[in-house]
Amino acid sequence: MAVQLDDAVDKTAPRTGKGGAPPGRRSPRSPGRRTPPARRTPHPPTRRAPYLLLLPALLATAVLLGWPMVRNILLSFQNLNMKELIQHLTDWRGTGNYQEILGSEQFWRVTLRTIVFTAVNVALIMVLGVLIGLLLARLGKKMRLTLSLALVLAWAMPVIAATTVFQWLFDSRYGVVNWLLDRLGRHAMAHYDWVGTQLSTFFVITVLIVWQSLPFVALNLYAATTTIPKELYEAARMDGAGTWKVFTCVTFPFLKPFFLATTFLEIIWVFKAFPQIFAINEGGPDRLTETLPIYAFTEGVGNLHFGMGAAISLLTIVVLLAMTAYYLRLTIKQEQQEENEL
Amino acid sequence: MKRGLIAATAVAGMLVSVAACGSSGGNKAGADGFKGQKLTVWVMSGSNPAQWTRQVSEQFKKKTGATVEFKVQQWNGIQQKLSTALSEDTPPDVVEIGNTQTAAYAEAGALADLGDLKKEIGSDWNDAFNKASLVDGKQYALPWYAGNRVVMYNKKIWAEAGLKGTPRTRNELFKAFDTIKKKTDAEPLYLPGQNWYFFDGLTIGTGADLVKKQGGKWVSNLGDPKVAKAMDIYTSYQAFSTAPKNKDEATPQQAEVFAKGKTGAVIAMGYEAATAIKANPKIKNDIGFFTIPGETADKPEGVFLGGSNFAVAGMGKNQELAKEFLKVALSKENDGQMVKEVGWTPKSPDLAGAAKENPAAAAAAPAAEKSGGTTPLIPQWAAVENVPNPIKSYMTAVLSGKSPADAAKDIESEINARLAKQ
Amino acid sequence: MKRSLAGRIWPNATAVVLALGFVFPVYWMFNTAFKPTQDIVTEDPVWFPLHGTFEHFATAVNAPNFWILAGNSVLVTVLAVGLSLVIALCGAFALTRMRFKGRKGILLTFMVAQMAPWEVMVISIYLIVRDADLLNSLLPLTFFYMLMVLPFTLLTLRGYVAAVPKELEESAMVDGCSRRQAFLKVVFPLLAPGLMATSLFGFITAWNEFPLVLVLNKEPAMGTLPLWLSQFQSQFGDDWGATMAAASIFAVPILVLFLFLQRKAVGGLTSGAVKG
Repeated sequence: MAVQLDDAVDKTAPRTGKGGAPPGRRSPRSPGRRTPPARRTPHPPTRRAPYLLLLPALLATAVLLGWPMVRNILLSFQNLNMKELIQHLTDWRGTGNYQEILGSEQFWRVTLRTIVFTAVNVALIMVLGVLIGLLLARLGKKMRLTLSLALVLAWAMPVIAATTVFQWLFDSRYGVVNWLLDRLGRHAMAHYDWVGTQLSTFFVITVLIVWQSLPFVALNLYAATTTIPKELYEAARMDGAGTWKVFTCVTFPFLKPFFLATTFLEIIWVFKAFPQIFAINEGGPDRLTETLPIYAFTEGVGNLHFGMGAAISLLTIVVLLAMTAYYLRLTIKQEQQEENEL
Repeated sequence: MKRGLIAATAVAGMLVSVAACGSSGGNKAGADGFKGQKLTVWVMSGSNPAQWTRQVSEQFKKKTGATVEFKVQQWNGIQQKLSTALSEDTPPDVVEIGNTQTAAYAEAGALADLGDLKKEIGSDWNDAFNKASLVDGKQYALPWYAGNRVVMYNKKIWAEAGLKGTPRTRNELFKAFDTIKKKTDAEPLYLPGQNWYFFDGLTIGTGADLVKKQGGKWVSNLGDPKVAKAMDIYTSYQAFSTAPKNKDEATPQQAEVFAKGKTGAVIAMGYEAATAIKANPKIKNDIGFFTIPGETADKPEGVFLGGSNFAVAGMGKNQELAKEFLKVALSKENDGQMVKEVGWTPKSPDLAGAAKENPAAAAAAPAAEKSGGTTPLIPQWAAVENVPNPIKSYMTAVLSGKSPADAAKDIESEINARLAKQ
Repeated sequence: MKRSLAGRIWPNATAVVLALGFVFPVYWMFNTAFKPTQDIVTEDPVWFPLHGTFEHFATAVNAPNFWILAGNSVLVTVLAVGLSLVIALCGAFALTRMRFKGRKGILLTFMVAQMAPWEVMVISIYLIVRDADLLNSLLPLTFFYMLMVLPFTLLTLRGYVAAVPKELEESAMVDGCSRRQAFLKVVFPLLAPGLMATSLFGFITAWNEFPLVLVLNKEPAMGTLPLWLSQFQSQFGDDWGATMAAASIFAVPILVLFLFLQRKAVGGLTSGAVKG
């Protein structure tokens, strides 16, 4: 079983995941498959070793995330406002916070909005990211370097700085965007108020988030395509496949794990996007662009109803879990398979 | 009151701790027991002007033997910072709190009772200033400074338009704006759609109440015709401006727009002149002020008295020393210094002399005295002004063509929800 | 299989347009930082800082405690990222190379831990830290930042560990190395680029964090740079020039780090992302 050692060392991106090779066209150097072990490990690890190695990570998670989480759950059953905070009072109110939230129309509206918002953004990010990634693979060396550099610059821009700049670019009177639209003949846009309506505010937020997220997808996709053996492409081309066909028959199946994993991460990141939305218009106009994290923050921290905020934040996790359940299950199933293979 | 305290010119850079430079020298005149102690005072960024800070620190040290440390706080996230800080074992001893926020902190039990101190040092303060410190008749804070908006205008542009003197009624003002529009290429007035405190002043002028009691609960009164009338006045003002309808006066800072010299006037706080001068030093001699004129010449337009109070943390360990500090910080001399140095409105008749040295304060004083008011002084009100402020949405909606009644209807449920909590 | 002229031009043309689009906001930040205030607030954009000034940078750097806050930021970020790398590497190794009971559950835990709503948990964390009497200290900050990046780091490193052929390790052990020696001498050097790439995410997260430090460390000298950055943009008016100058200063370390580690980052996160 040949191992593509050179790749592992040079590109540091050798293994694209398991079961990636397209059916029927497995190359002799297929890197996509986990190589089954040639023989049993000479020194079998002691049974405690894995637990000892994981101990620091688990302990840290339990103390630094688990404990605040438990505290958060407790808070969600309390009435904790400024008064209780300052006087160190504990005022249990049972499931009152949850009843109030689940009974309010607003929560459900925000939830639906968050799901649509996440779906639209992730779809845009994935599609455009893949297109740019494929473009990178097609460019000449200099051009590729230029575009990569631009992508890296955008990627590295701190969120706080980026949101500030975007506010500025879309300013109704002094913004470059309106100036440009005016110059291009859309004079009605000269003083257009981008954060005046729900849709246009979401447009600005989406441009910002997509702009920030594309580099991750595009650069990684490009790097991933470099791990696809050239033979596969050559074979496909010889069979007369066009660009689209090559993508659907070679690139996509080969990189399927990549697509799944990246989509999973983007769902989490977009869903949790906070500073971007808050900075552009604080969830306005009329709270119409609040997503769940903003809603939880405004109710909890902003209006000093911490118990309520805690309850919303927990419901938020439930929604996020539901949105990613498919991927979580898939991963666990795959791991199970792998274990069985061993 | 929040926006607005940029102030005080270049102070921001040098603040932090002035305690270190207080003159020492083994002065034994202080009350006993305080010597060597340290008092922590939280002030908001831009609140404490340099000279005031210096002389208060020195006088305090001289009087008590203790030192005061001013800790300058940024506005961003101040509510979280202040509410958590007041819950700690060693809270700041004295805190600056916006006057409209004071009731909420008092209600939460965070502040000490200062009734005796008020009797001792503040018997002649204007009631309009003091109202915001009272909750159920009890004194939970003392007014430090407050100011109200005036018309800041560009003398050169007004001269160019051939205008002489300053308008004394609203109609005269609008006529002046018309003249500027016709005779010059300047924008007569720069007024963004969300100058909410100017609007609050207009509601005070029309005698409107923003909230009313209904069945024992506070609810929005935005649908009131008097509020609509105030909004009509705002709309007539705004018609003279091409400023964005969806922005407030801070983004961009209207003083920086004014500084370009192409704006006839802005509705501004006196200290905004410093911002304009910083952006364009040449504008300095062109800046003038006058009181915002009302319907008739005898009563100026209603104004929102925005400012800050000093409060003593209820859990603080140095409450006696904190009161000593307030006696120094709020003395006639030091209050006068605030008026002179920044242009705040004088809070008692004795300070009129100090106001003469500052033209902005002089223009502000008549309105504060005859037509000054605040936002509703109920603990729940602070939540209404939290971002996103629904009243700002209301203003933008009306300016974009909605009728005041419809716009009020859209926003009232949000205001009511905020008033109901707590 | 020669491509037509158009076929060669359009990818390059698209690339140029895209590159401009991605760079422009970054450029605008620097451009604004160097422009005098008069040129910032203007209806006709000033495209180049022809009347360049360092005035805004002076305002930004001369703000109280700048150097102390910068020191704190570097210290906290480096420690948090370093710690998380070490802890995550151990865990990633176990999860990738060993089979044991509870493995899948632990994996799932870390995947779900990525979803933690830190912004809203700030108050719970505050109460815990307050009761432990650890306010105004860099210690809790370091630990919590460490945990914010730990799940991602661990899961990403898993991809790297899986990418190192097991045979290498095994042959080293056949040659007489212990498992630990095999790891340190053979596996670790191969992982180094991956570690650097993964650290980028951690750097960005820890470097940017604002809500937690705001309430935990109210002592001015115990803050971090995001607090400093937010002070030029506040409720009483925005000093755009100073904000942009501060943002530029704030962004430069991360930009440099990215450019420095770019290749590794690009190659690296792939394998990590694949393992999810």
